[in-house]
Amino acid sequence: MSKYISKKDLNSWLNKVRDNRRLVAPTKVDDLILFKEISRVEDIVSDYVNTDLSPKEFLFPPTEVLFSIEKKNGGVELTPARVEKETVIFGMRPCDAKGVVALDKPFLEDPTDPLYKEHRDKTALVGISCLKACAECFCSSMGSGPDDPSGFDIMLTEVKDGYLVQVLTEKGKALLPDSTLSESGEAKPKAAEVATVPAKDVNVKLRQNFEDPYWNRLADRCIHCNMCSYVCPTCYCFDIRDYPNKGKTDRVRSWESCQSAGFTKIAGGHDPRANKGTRMRQRFAHKLLYFPEQFGVSHCIGCGRCVKSCPVNIDIREIIQDVQKLGAKGE
Amino acid sequence: MNETEQIRSKAKELLDSKKVDCVIGYERATDEKNARPMFAYNAKDADRLIFDQTCRHNLVRYLLNRKDKVTGIVVKACDSRAVNLLINEHQIARDKLFIIGVACPGLVKTDWNKPGDKLRDACQLCQQRTPVIYDVLIGEAKKVEPPADAYPDVAAMEGKSVEEKRAFWEKEFSRCIRCYACRQACPGCYCSECFVDRLDPLWVGIRIAPGENEMWNTIRAYHLGGRCIGCYACELVCPVNIPLSLLNRKLEKEVMKLFKFQPGLDPETPQPLATFQKDEKLGVAE
Amino acid sequence: MSNNKNPLLPHLATLENVIDLTPDVRLFQIELNDADFKAKFDYKPGQFIFVSAFGTGESPFGLTSVAHRKGPIEVAVRKVGTVTSSMHDLEPGAAVGVRGPFGNFFPMDQFKGKNIHIIGGGIGFAPLRPIILTILDHRNDYGDLFILNGARTPSDLVFANEFDTWAAAPKTRLELTVDAKDDNWTGRVALIPAVVKELQLSPANSVAIICGPPIMIKFTLTELKKLGFADEQIVTTLEGKMKCGLGKCARCNVGDKYVCKDGPVFTFKQISGLLEQF
Repeated sequence: MSKYISKKDLNSWLNKVRDNRRLVAPTKVDDLILFKEISRVEDIVSDYVNTDLSPKEFLFPPTEVLFSIEKKNGGVELTPARVEKETVIFGMRPCDAKGVVALDKPFLEDPTDPLYKEHRDKTALVGISCLKACAECFCSSMGSGPDDPSGFDIMLTEVKDGYLVQVLTEKGKALLPDSTLSESGEAKPKAAEVATVPAKDVNVKLRQNFEDPYWNRLADRCIHCNMCSYVCPTCYCFDIRDYPNKGKTDRVRSWESCQSAGFTKIAGGHDPRANKGTRMRQRFAHKLLYFPEQFGVSHCIGCGRCVKSCPVNIDIREIIQDVQKLGAKGE
Repeated sequence: MNETEQIRSKAKELLDSKKVDCVIGYERATDEKNARPMFAYNAKDADRLIFDQTCRHNLVRYLLNRKDKVTGIVVKACDSRAVNLLINEHQIARDKLFIIGVACPGLVKTDWNKPGDKLRDACQLCQQRTPVIYDVLIGEAKKVEPPADAYPDVAAMEGKSVEEKRAFWEKEFSRCIRCYACRQACPGCYCSECFVDRLDPLWVGIRIAPGENEMWNTIRAYHLGGRCIGCYACELVCPVNIPLSLLNRKLEKEVMKLFKFQPGLDPETPQPLATFQKDEKLGVAE
Repeated sequence: MSNNKNPLLPHLATLENVIDLTPDVRLFQIELNDADFKAKFDYKPGQFIFVSAFGTGESPFGLTSVAHRKGPIEVAVRKVGTVTSSMHDLEPGAAVGVRGPFGNFFPMDQFKGKNIHIIGGGIGFAPLRPIILTILDHRNDYGDLFILNGARTPSDLVFANEFDTWAAAPKTRLELTVDAKDDNWTGRVALIPAVVKELQLSPANSVAIICGPPIMIKFTLTELKKLGFADEQIVTTLEGKMKCGLGKCARCNVGDKYVCKDGPVFTFKQISGLLEQF
C-alpha cells in the first residue's frame, strides 16, 4: 500500500498552497513551457516532459540585489536583501531536483551564501516522476533517474485519477500532512525508459587528455551565446556589479557564462582563456571533472536542455562519448 | 549531383589543393534530422558536409574570427549579403574567401529533434533565392516573383494603435532573458565592446526588467538599421521565441522607403546611414 | 575571516590616506570602522582583500602591509579599469568596503633560515612587500635577503621611498632595473630575467619569490631553473579575474584549483601540476 492523493484533492491542496505562498509550476507561455508563479491552478500544465528553462531561477535568480548601498549620515549604510515569501515549486522533475542538490554544494558550503540559503530554506520542492522521457534526456547516466526522489520534499507518481505520494522530508510533511492523504494499492507504474550515455569515469579520461586539440575543434562552431549556462539547472557562474537605483546603489549578482569572451579577462588585459577552445574545455572540465571531484556529485544531471537549445548543436552526450574515445588511438 | 554532393566535391578540391585552410559548411546534427555548422579541415571532414532546408545558420559570423586565414564558406542568398556587408565595412577581405554559393530553396520551420516541412515565415517572403556574391554557384539560379507587399508582417504591426503596439512588445520583451544569443548569432554584431557591456557610461543595466529588455532589443535593431541583411538568425536562436525579425524588417522597410537601399547587394555601395554626401537631400527618395 | 554572517557583504571602512607611488599607482591606507572587527582582523603575507568602491563595484587587491605592525591596511592600486579608476577618484575620508582576508599565504615559517630572493615587476611587487617587511622586522630569523625590483620606467618603480631603508638593512642587497631609462636614470636598464641571469643568483639554501606580469614570471622562471633552482624553491602569487573570493563563482580557477582559495600563493611544483595555463 502507498500513500495516495486524488487529482481533485491535489488541486484543492494546490489552491490552498497558492493562497499562503508563492506557487511556482509549469505553465504554457506562448509556445514554451516555463516555470512561472501561478495565480490559477488550472494554468498548470500536465502534458510536458520538462520545461524549456530550468527552475533554478527561483533559488538563484538571473539578477538579484545582494544589498543596497545608501549614503547616509556622512557615511554609507548597507542593507542586505531578504527573501520574504515562502515558495512551493510544483511539478519539478527528478533531474532538476538533483540539479538543486548540486547547486546547494557551492552555495551552502562554508562560507554559506545567506541569500541562497534563505531562498532554499523557504522553498519546498514537490516533484512528479517521469513516465515519459524526451529524446535528449540521459538522467540515469548522470546520477539521477526518472523516479529518483533525491532533493524533493514530496514526490508524486501519476496513476489513474491521482498520484502515489512519497513524503520525504519534515518540510514535506508539514506542507502536505498525512491527514490529506489516503491509501492506494495501485502498483507503481513503470518509470520512463531513458537513453544512456557512457559517463562512467569520464573525469579520468578528461584529465588524461586535457591538452587534446579536440576542444579547439569543438569550439569552432560555438557562438558564445551563453544559452547552455542559462538553461542549465546547475550552472552558477555569476557576475557582481554595482548599479544605480533611484538615488541608492544596488550591488547586483547576475548570471554569467564561462563561454563568453572576456569571462577571465583582467583589467590590464591579460586573459588566460582568450582562446575559444580553452573556454569550451573549461565548461566541460567544470561539469565533468572539477565539480564532481570537488563536491562528490555530478554537475550535469542529464536533463538535455543544453542539447535542445544550443543553436549550433554542441551536445554534451556526444562530447562525453568523444572524450571516452580520446587517447584511445595511440598512447 | 545534388547540392550535398557538389558541395563535398568542391570542398575536397579546395582543401586538397590547400587553396583554403578550412571550409565552413553544415553537417548533420545529433538529432539526425537538423543541420549544424561544421568546419572541414581535410577531405575526410568534407565528406560530412550536407546541404538541405534545415541549414538555417548564418555561417558568415565565423569569418570574423578567421581574418588572417583563407576560408571556404557555404552561403545561402541571405548569408551572401552578409559577406558583402562585412567586406563593405572592411571586416573581411575578399581575397581571403572562397565563396560556395548555394541557390536556396528556403528554410523550413524546425526545432531540435522536431523538423518541419513548412517554409519559415521570413523565407516565404524572401525575394532573392540566389546568392549575390560567390566563386562558384551550386544549384539553379531561381527567379522569384516579387510579392505585392514585401512586408505584410510589418504592415500588420503598423496597423495597430500605439497602445496595442506597446502591449505587444511589452509581452514579447517580458520573456527576454538577456542571453544575447541574438547578438552572438548576428554577422553584423561584431563590436569589440557591445554597448550593453559598457559600464562607464552605463547605457543599459544588467537587470532583466521591462525597461532594460526593451532598450536592449530596440537599440540593437537600430544599430543594424541599414545594415541588417535579413537572415534573421537572431530570431532563430532566441530561446524564448521573441519575433525579433519584426523590428529589423520595420527598419528595412523604412530604409528602403527613404533611400531605396537594400543592404548587402554588393560590397561597394556606401551605406546610406553611414555616409554623408555634400549634395544629400533629406526626405523620401524619388 | 570575512563577514561570516554574509560573506558577500563588505565591512565598512574609511580611506585614511592616499599616497602616490607612481603616475598610475596609489597606496591606499584603509582603517576598518568597526572596532571589534578591526581588533580581530589578522592577515598574513600573500593574502588579499576585496575593496569596494561603492557605486562601481569591488576588486581584489594583494595586501601590501603587515598585520604585526598594527598600522592601517595598505593596498597598492594601479588605475587600469573601472573599479580602480573609481578608487583613484576617492579622497581621504571616503567610505569604502573591505571583504577578507582571503587566500593562502607565503609560508614564512618554511622560509626561516633560508636565503630569500624577492623578484618583482611593476605593480606585481606590491604583494611581495609584506615578505620584506616581515624579514626586516625579524631579521635574524632569515638568511641573506636579495631584492630585485623592476619596472617599465624609473617613475614606475613602486615603494621608491623605502628603498634606502631596505638597502640599509643587514645582509640585504637591493637591485633596481628598468626596461627603458629616463634622463635622470643612471642605474641598470635590463629586463628582470636578464638581471637574474647576470647576477647568477645561487639556489643554495634559497627560496625565490617572484611576482609580476605572467610573461615576466615565465621568463624569470626559465632563468632560475637554469641556475639550478628546483620547482619547490620557486614561489609565486597569481592573479585572476575574481568576483567572490570564496571559491564559489567558478571564475578564477586554473584547472581544478581556485586562485582565491587554493592560492594565490603557489610553488612552481604546484603550478606545473596545474591543468591549465595561468
